[in-house]
Amino acid sequence: MKAVFSKAKSAFVKAFEKIEEFFRPLSIKLGALVNSRGFKYFKKFFFWGLALLMLILAVSLPIVKLNDGKSSTLFGFFGLISGHNNGQLTYIAVADLLCAVLPIAGIIFFLVEEFAFKNKKHIYVVSKILGILYFVLSYMLLSTMLCYKSGLEGAGLDGKFMLSQVGFAYFALLIADFILAILFFKRGRLAASYIVLITLSIIWLFPLLFIVFTSFRAERGFYTDSFIPDKWSFDAYIRLFTDTSIFQFGRWFGNTLLVSAATCVLSTCIIVMISFVLSRFNFASKKKLIMGFLIMGMFPGFMSMIAIYYIIKGIGLSQSLFALILCYSGGSAAGYYIVKGFIDTIPKDIDEAAMIDGASQLQIFFRIILPLAKPILIYTVLTSFMAPWGDYIFASVIMGDNYSSYTVALGLYMMLQNSYINSWYTSFAAGAVIVAVPISILFIALNKYYVEGLSGSVKG
Amino acid sequence: MNKEQENLNVEQDETADAVAQESPTKTVTIHLHKNYSWGDELKVDTECIGDSPVEVGNPIIEDDGDGWCTVKIAVPKDIKQQKKKFRLVISDGDNAQNKVAKTVSSTKDLWLAKNGKAKKNAEAVIKYEKNHFFWNEHDGFEKASLFVLGVSHIKNKRYFEGIMFLLVEIAFFVFMGFYGVKSIINLCTLGTVVQGRYQDAEGYWHTVEGDNSMTMLLSGVITLAVIALAVLFYLFAFKSNLRLSEAVRNNEKYSFKAFVKSFANKRLYIIMLIIPLAGVLIFTIIPLIYMILIAFTNYDANHQPPGQLFDWVGFQNFFYLFGQNANFASTFWRLLLWTLVWAFFSTFTCFFGGMGLAMLIKNNRVKGKVIFRTIFVLTIAIPSFISLLSIGTMLQRDGVVNMLLMKYGFTSEPLPFLTDTTWARATVIIVNLWIGVPISMLITTGILLNIPSDLFESAKIDGAGPFMVFRKIILPYIMFVCTPYLINAFISNINNFNVIYFLTGGGPASLDNFKGAGGTDLLVTWLYKLTVDNRDYSYASAIGIIIFLISAGLSLIVLRRSSSFKNEGSF
Repeated sequence: MKAVFSKAKSAFVKAFEKIEEFFRPLSIKLGALVNSRGFKYFKKFFFWGLALLMLILAVSLPIVKLNDGKSSTLFGFFGLISGHNNGQLTYIAVADLLCAVLPIAGIIFFLVEEFAFKNKKHIYVVSKILGILYFVLSYMLLSTMLCYKSGLEGAGLDGKFMLSQVGFAYFALLIADFILAILFFKRGRLAASYIVLITLSIIWLFPLLFIVFTSFRAERGFYTDSFIPDKWSFDAYIRLFTDTSIFQFGRWFGNTLLVSAATCVLSTCIIVMISFVLSRFNFASKKKLIMGFLIMGMFPGFMSMIAIYYIIKGIGLSQSLFALILCYSGGSAAGYYIVKGFIDTIPKDIDEAAMIDGASQLQIFFRIILPLAKPILIYTVLTSFMAPWGDYIFASVIMGDNYSSYTVALGLYMMLQNSYINSWYTSFAAGAVIVAVPISILFIALNKYYVEGLSGSVKG
Repeated sequence: MNKEQENLNVEQDETADAVAQESPTKTVTIHLHKNYSWGDELKVDTECIGDSPVEVGNPIIEDDGDGWCTVKIAVPKDIKQQKKKFRLVISDGDNAQNKVAKTVSSTKDLWLAKNGKAKKNAEAVIKYEKNHFFWNEHDGFEKASLFVLGVSHIKNKRYFEGIMFLLVEIAFFVFMGFYGVKSIINLCTLGTVVQGRYQDAEGYWHTVEGDNSMTMLLSGVITLAVIALAVLFYLFAFKSNLRLSEAVRNNEKYSFKAFVKSFANKRLYIIMLIIPLAGVLIFTIIPLIYMILIAFTNYDANHQPPGQLFDWVGFQNFFYLFGQNANFASTFWRLLLWTLVWAFFSTFTCFFGGMGLAMLIKNNRVKGKVIFRTIFVLTIAIPSFISLLSIGTMLQRDGVVNMLLMKYGFTSEPLPFLTDTTWARATVIIVNLWIGVPISMLITTGILLNIPSDLFESAKIDGAGPFMVFRKIILPYIMFVCTPYLINAFISNINNFNVIYFLTGGGPASLDNFKGAGGTDLLVTWLYKLTVDNRDYSYASAIGIIIFLISAGLSLIVLRRSSSFKNEGSF
């Protein structure tokens, strides 16, 4: 095994070296080219030139194509909307015009600034403002996409399928504005990362916001074609707690809270105890124990759930919350790894000093290790609270059809079954918000400790 | 017995280290105290162990009077590096009735034996080589307590331990008599009587309550666990017995109070380990062994107790999965391939995505880092079943994403995000980014902060651009630190149940696959379906074992890597 591994590794390294050797002359030349002054100059003007080219294309090519064969450039577009009193088309036209005219002003500003001014410090503010402007403009332009179909249909100019009506000029305009936004961000010493970060933030928040909005939606149905509800109401929340004919959400929430809190206390105790023992004591079968935990951890966690179910049934606890608590905290000792790693970093000299002063191991545990391990303790509390809070598998296997002992995960999953989803979707969203909000607040408040724990897992 | 040995006091001279350092040998000085019954002569010999002889100088013995002597031996300094050993034997002359020996494998490895009991040297654990057996040295009570635990403890007035040992032994035999033996036999047969009705000679119908293979297997496993625990307990009692006999010989004082107190100090680990280990035994080990054993039975949908029996079938389930049964094998291999593809893509897209995000946020000119981090961290904070179920409903055929796309005219008919196999696979990987990127962002942020800043400064002086800094400093550093994490992430993605189950439920259903496996089913979700929906426990367990083998193989690589880390030091 070892020999095969190292052979494969050396063969891989050799192949990689050969490839690198082959490309070395090329990369040296490329490096020289990149570092040459001409290339730097070229790079500087390339993107400005590209933006300009895109702008020219945007003005000259058709921005709207209609299915009857007519097409319209940016300026022809105003003729198109002049006959119709249509707000959406006007919005599109104004946005397009702003996106086309303001960048030209920006390029002129750049050229003037590049060749006329020697002292460029005062330029930064203007560049910053322009960068943000183009960023906003490009988002405005993106948002016009949402108006094309309904705008054209409202004006009786055809509609149905947006992509067949948007001309190349539109995309050229979009590209030009984005490039200019990045360029002016860079000129204004403003990180271009903002552009990516804000875009990503919007993508990341989209599902969350949608669920929050859905929970405040007045109409109950699942089918909806608007992101923001037409009518707002608290009905979903009220119904969740009052209409207990099918879903006893309030009770389930209490169940989950109870199970999570109890599991959290039990597993934290268990994990801290075993980590302390494995970190500070030497006993005969310690290595075997660690090896055993390692091997156990490699089996899929819920492979054994059926057996656990029968064991719990054998003890006489089937379908009870207590069984669930036992089940979550019983096997939690296997997660000692990160906590042990942290306790290992607490110097043993402290223990020894305490021992010389006559402290017993129990005192060392309570008076020294626990206070010093506070960050990792909080991490353990957090993760062991979150695990049952969001677990579905074990709860589903152990609870079966005992509705009164369900946890929120089971309940919310049930609300999305075909027979309920249409009348309960908004309540599902409300339940999701209620479940997610406390844990999110807790998590964000204790985020620092979570990160510390995570980096512990990387250091290994 | 050989009580003389115990009076042989050996102490290491602390000045031994101060011997001239330039010579290739090191003189080690030992002080011995010999009992007078040993006779006048004291002989110190060295015996070679292994093939390569060690050049040890002749020991020089000096009599210090009053029973003390000083022994000086020249030992090669590099004995430890050469991995050589020799044995030092001290005896009383030629008749050699009294003899102690000690294996030496390093210059520090000399001994400090007091009262015949091996004690811990500051540097190395000293083992006292015994040339005698338990049977020759102990009295009747001690021998008796080999069979009846605790007799010798009770005789020496240590009632608590003695009675406890005795009670546990009685309890074990009672358990075995009433329950254990029967369940071990049942474990071998897994039941013989099938449930059913039969008509006797007079025409009356009788109901036979048949054997339940499932409970038989479970009780068999529990009995095995009890036997294993009993063996461990027996060893513990045996050791305790040895300790007791030594304590009695040394006339050590015993107080019950001190014994109890030692559980807060030296023996604290026993108290602290009992609860965690009991939990692990009941909720992890026994279920796991049970499921592993089921992989070697035919406990599938057609053999459901209590109506039917199941039996041992050896490796048949594995042969089915690997190719004997065409339906099973084709499904299994397809799912295995997709599992590996999924694990590869989900691990690397998330990792590099998170790295990119971390670097974007780390940029010194970005303000409001906390706000951005909080936005992304929200996805970790929210329980994954909520966010995944929500996204799952949004991406359905009639979900809001398709509705919005149609409303704004991006598409004329709903896109099959979760209903077409290829689309669903891509969707699952992309949605997984939404969850996985923030986690690896948090991890790589920590690592990026740990990169020594002088590296960046020197790179800047050398004229490296941001891309060069990334390629030559950041990427190697992160890859170096994160390889074990990446492999662990790969393993956990192989076992990633939530993303698949809550988004697609394993679907879209496919006729090519057997036993309900869908287009995006991983091996683990198939395992879940096999157990919960189909009750094909035997196949599910076999798949679980295969997943274990894959994970274990990958973990071996992690172990290798992390041990090589320790040798390499830091990057």
